[in-house]
Amino acid sequence: MNTTLFLQQLINGVSLGMVYAIFALGYTLVFSILGIINFSHSAVFTLGAYFTYAFMGLSWGFNGLLARQSLPLELPFVLAMLAGGVVAGLVAVVIERAAFKPLRQRGADPLLTLVSSLGIAVALVNLIQFLVGAEAYSYPSARVLGPLGLPPALNLSTPEAPLIIPTVRVVIIFASLIILALLVLLINATKVGKAMRAVAEDGTTASLLGINTDRIILFTFFLSGLIGGVAGTLVGLSVTITGPYLGISFGLKGLAVIVLGGLGNIPGAVLGGLVIGIAETFAPSSLKDAVAFVILFLILLARPQGLLGKAVVQKV
Amino acid sequence: MRVKRVSALLSGMLALALGVSSIGAQSQDPVLIGIGVAQTSNVALLGQEQVIGAQIAEAYFNERGGINGRPIRLVFQDTAGDEAGAINAFQQLIAAGVVGIVGPTLSQQAFAADPLANEAGVPVIAPSNTARGIPQIGEFIARVSAPVAVVAPNAVRAALNINPDIQNVAVFYAQNDAFATSETGTFQETVRELGLNLIEPVQTFQTTDTDFSSQIATALASNPQLVIVSGLAADGGNLVKQLREFGYTGLIVGGNGLNTANIFPVCQALCDGIIIAQAYSYALDTEVNNTFREIYKEAQGKEPPQFSGQAFAAVQSFVEALIAIDNEVGLDSLSLPELRAALNAQLRSMTFDTPLGPISYTEEGEIVQEQFYVAQIQMEEDGLNGSFVFIPIGDEAEEAEPQATPSS
Amino acid sequence: MEGFITTYGFLMVTMTLQAMLALSLYLPLMAGQLSLASPGFYALGGFVAAVMSKSVFGFTNQQVFPLPLVFVEMAVAAAICAVVAILIGVPALRLRGIYLALATIAFVEVVRVVALNLEITGQAIGIFGVPQPFSRSFDYMALTLPMLLLAIFFVYRLERSRVGRAFSALREDELAAAAMGINPTRYKVLAFVMGAVLAGIVGVVNAHLLNTWNTRQGTFDVAILVLAYVIIGGSRTFLGPVAGGLLLTALPEVLRAAAGIQGLPAPVAQFLQDGRLIIFGVLIAVGTLFFPQGLITPRMFRRWRAAHPQPAAARRKEAQA
Repeated sequence: MNTTLFLQQLINGVSLGMVYAIFALGYTLVFSILGIINFSHSAVFTLGAYFTYAFMGLSWGFNGLLARQSLPLELPFVLAMLAGGVVAGLVAVVIERAAFKPLRQRGADPLLTLVSSLGIAVALVNLIQFLVGAEAYSYPSARVLGPLGLPPALNLSTPEAPLIIPTVRVVIIFASLIILALLVLLINATKVGKAMRAVAEDGTTASLLGINTDRIILFTFFLSGLIGGVAGTLVGLSVTITGPYLGISFGLKGLAVIVLGGLGNIPGAVLGGLVIGIAETFAPSSLKDAVAFVILFLILLARPQGLLGKAVVQKV
Repeated sequence: MRVKRVSALLSGMLALALGVSSIGAQSQDPVLIGIGVAQTSNVALLGQEQVIGAQIAEAYFNERGGINGRPIRLVFQDTAGDEAGAINAFQQLIAAGVVGIVGPTLSQQAFAADPLANEAGVPVIAPSNTARGIPQIGEFIARVSAPVAVVAPNAVRAALNINPDIQNVAVFYAQNDAFATSETGTFQETVRELGLNLIEPVQTFQTTDTDFSSQIATALASNPQLVIVSGLAADGGNLVKQLREFGYTGLIVGGNGLNTANIFPVCQALCDGIIIAQAYSYALDTEVNNTFREIYKEAQGKEPPQFSGQAFAAVQSFVEALIAIDNEVGLDSLSLPELRAALNAQLRSMTFDTPLGPISYTEEGEIVQEQFYVAQIQMEEDGLNGSFVFIPIGDEAEEAEPQATPSS
Repeated sequence: MEGFITTYGFLMVTMTLQAMLALSLYLPLMAGQLSLASPGFYALGGFVAAVMSKSVFGFTNQQVFPLPLVFVEMAVAAAICAVVAILIGVPALRLRGIYLALATIAFVEVVRVVALNLEITGQAIGIFGVPQPFSRSFDYMALTLPMLLLAIFFVYRLERSRVGRAFSALREDELAAAAMGINPTRYKVLAFVMGAVLAGIVGVVNAHLLNTWNTRQGTFDVAILVLAYVIIGGSRTFLGPVAGGLLLTALPEVLRAAAGIQGLPAPVAQFLQDGRLIIFGVLIAVGTLFFPQGLITPRMFRRWRAAHPQPAAARRKEAQA
């Protein structure tokens, strides 16, 4: 492998890793505060992409209940993405209220919450198909990159030995890093963040200290849904909304990424994404999924709590 | 909701398209034809197209008087994307008293569910199963989806006609898709036969993948002048898009799985110029195809894809064979098992003028299709819409001689 | 009745197989290990059966496949699964909770990718025309029902044996169990191997039942679904996974049948048909709310025993004698 190809593959690996990371950030946020694996994140991620499409005033296809309908407003892409993210955040809030809170109040096993979130994901994905069909939807590039005058891909090197990265991927890399920075800042340097950490530590104690645990949890879900919805839109922009299973196809890798990084560790999600993304990129194409998971397996054997996870203190 | 609404819509439009008012000969019990395709799961996009094709056929033939005045009715059962789902759906259809079944969507599902239909003596026409060994499952199994051996070489030759300087060829295929894995074998053989340099290793991906940058970088390092992609709409479209983003400017040949307008939203303007191997071309200028195309466009706002065309042809085969039986002995004179057996035999003894062109079935149930096509995608300026422009191949007539698949 | 059996025979057999698959996941869980490796072993078992029946024994699907050979396949699959389970289990079972779950999912993915690349497993198309020991789907019941009852009986006895008590000690508190002289690794691996063997055997039968086997069987999706069987059914008693497996396998088909009920208003019937999986998902989520301990809990047994004191007391006396 020559240097150019090596560098190109490294860029590809980082770029793919950041796609995994941006999917995983909202996922791991809920785990870090509540200690639950929330499979419905995949569906909220997908919904975000569809909401953005709707807010751009684009019309649905010819299948499903909403065939040929469209919203009477036509937001520019960036605004539509934010609006889509907010609505996805609200969906996450509804899911928390309707499904997770009652379970929490009954002190249910975290695995039960996992199964419940799986049910919600199944329902939402099929609901999307019921409403707008199984076809692919895309944001017309003329309304996204066009107004900013951006080409579809950037060359980071000379025309003779090009190093290419699609422009949308650059956006995703920056978006991941910005979301990561904001989350770390929020959790470590603000009052809300302090409250979130307190809830993460021990919900009961936190409420005794006068923290409105309930509201903090709602806020966490909203944030997770918002990040998920924006991430879904950006990934949808990069690879189109390939159908109701857009997010589900990231579910397994996303889970691998957050576990590899260390469950609930937010920078860990980005690191885990990078490791898996780069491993896949350098593997032979017919074995890349296997290579990614073998590496995951080996890393877990060496670090049973994930790359950045805290070792669990065993009670004596 | 969907099924009902669409068919109401369709019959309305059909009346317009044909310029006739409803023929009021629907007094008898309808003849039931089962449609068992993937209406849910992550292959639902294919199933959705098949449902539409079948519904258009239902409306089309009922408008024309059904089976000598007796209407047909489609019975839908969702197979989802798995083998057990296909078996359950087929059992339901058999129990519902259908005379024949169109389905399932995937070859792997066919290997699970078809033996049951065969055992029960219910004729099956596979609308999209292209793997080797499908008609050989049993005497009641036929398919309308041609295996790819014929189409693929034509597409590569078309590319060579456009650019005779092609030397290096990079091949990509979806490793987890039964269709793409058999198609790529033909493509690779053709590349070698034509004396071109096949870049090793051949790059693979999964139909669920969305990122192909690693495979693309590896392949482009060997400087190909032609790239051949076997996959489905979403993955194939993304692969093409990323190839262009990575600066590849040469020709791209897409397999049969990319023969759908569903790739337009995926690669948008970058779809332009893909050469597609087609088992169905909406450009075929026959009465039945023009009507089919018109109704489809009215209902879906785009040109009909291959999956819809094949589903239509499958339903049409059943209907026309039933009409022939009715003419000969009368449907009422046969019990359901007799009718199913007679239908199976009748299917194999006549020619059908379908949107795919004239087709017939061998004794084994393999399709004999006369016309295959190569087209090139032309996208409009805005990148939202495009069309498949037919490329004539010089030695078309001989090349398109149908070829039975080797039995396993 | 005959019609019902023809239509639903396959479903009933599948229910018994899925219930066993749920038990295979429950076995490691008895020792507190959240392993999702079952689908990997299930896939492996299916490939063993498909390859052996076609290539080793040389049968085609035109011939009746002798039942004893199915048992030979089971033995081979069990042996292979046991060896693989030991090789994976010894290093992996140091992991806990979700970390272990993911390490076992890694195994499931590796099996899938390897099978996609091998000629012998038929790559994407898989192996088809697997010969049939029975002429109808429903007849498999003669094999799978006794298998299920045997598996239930085995797990029932296991829970009451010394090994079973070691498992539950590990599940409650690993450190305390180790302090009491239970070797954690040994028992965890034992539980893991038992689950693997059961899953492999289920795969053997299913490859025959489905006529075909390919890499789409035994994936991550199956892993999560089987976990749902166990959790919804109840993860604290062996009957929970069985109930969960039976019910959740039947549910989508029950909804399908509901859509076909005569006299339903058309929109309702249509929604039941098109929206079947929406309802399925919602029912799973709602089910967890109503049965936070799962459908079947140990407390139900205690209550049942309290209501029927005689037989229980008699049994205890018998045991003492």
